[in-house]
Amino acid sequence: MLRFDATQLLLRYAADYPIVSNLGPTTDELWHAGHRDRNFYTYGNMGLCSSIALGMALSTDQPVISLDGDGSLLMNLGAIASIGREQPPNLIVVVWDNEQWGQTGHQASHTAFGTDLEKVAQSCSIPQTATVDNLEDLEGVFQKALQTPGPWFIVAKITEGEYLPVAPIEPEMTLYRFRESFGVSGV
Amino acid sequence: MPWNDIIVQGLKNWDTSLIAYVPDVSIDRVTSLIADDPYFHLVSATREEEAVGIAVGAYATGRNAAVFMQSSGFGNSVNAIASLCIPARTPIPIFLNLRGGPGEFNIAQVPMGRAVRPILDTLGLVHFTLEDERNMDKIVDGAIKLCHANRQPVAICLTQLLHGGKLA
Repeated sequence: MLRFDATQLLLRYAADYPIVSNLGPTTDELWHAGHRDRNFYTYGNMGLCSSIALGMALSTDQPVISLDGDGSLLMNLGAIASIGREQPPNLIVVVWDNEQWGQTGHQASHTAFGTDLEKVAQSCSIPQTATVDNLEDLEGVFQKALQTPGPWFIVAKITEGEYLPVAPIEPEMTLYRFRESFGVSGV
Repeated sequence: MPWNDIIVQGLKNWDTSLIAYVPDVSIDRVTSLIADDPYFHLVSATREEEAVGIAVGAYATGRNAAVFMQSSGFGNSVNAIASLCIPARTPIPIFLNLRGGPGEFNIAQVPMGRAVRPILDTLGLVHFTLEDERNMDKIVDGAIKLCHANRQPVAICLTQLLHGGKLA
């Protein structure tokens, strides 16, 4: 399963729900799959994707989708514990797990050596979890996640494809567009 | 009004209802008030950079947020502030217990405590240091106003002189 194909799939169901994307190819591919005001692209702050999504989920009733990565989440495993503590029913974390730090030279991550992020989520009291490795299963579990209270934690095993061009790096505009879409002043 | 009540009132004045924090024994005198006040949602983070991320997420959806931490934990949060808050221009007030000043008993708290304000200066962030309650309401209120006007984090450093600190 290629991350770009999976990203396009999720966008078909995501309506205008907020999506936070992890830095690097996840942000780039979200941009190319479908740029929208409710995409909160991150360009740095590795490890904080799902923490940002948690803050959003605690502040809106809409479903909030985090597109995280195994390498980034390993940098901030505490985020999973905080999600388990807060139990936001509207938060859906999708972890693109390629078992490597792709952008830094494809070094193997800990998930290539037995770390099971779904089990971590389960042990942190996250009630809805799944691991999928194909588009059909991802489609099914994501549809269910949009209809069933969470928090959800979905590990999606992916393979790396060709990197797409880097998305425009504009953190200030990202925040501006995102806030305006919630009816508050962008500035 | 005691210093901890002044901070709570300052947060309310600026409609700041989501507070993300990592516990600290001195700051607990504020966060325990926040925890008991239904106006606020107090989120306990496992690490300070996580608290910054949570606060930014809240702000992105239109809810004002602040973070509380100790100066040692500020060190953990620097990259989150530098690579998220500053480039995206997010006005997050940072309340931190500044260790390493008069009355400090722990050598391990001195280096990071003394480095906080130089790091803030290097990042170009405004900070205020509070040593007593005189004019504190104006400083807290003004600091949060400046934070939003400048659309950047502002640090409010709470010292042992202000809150009495932690006894050895």
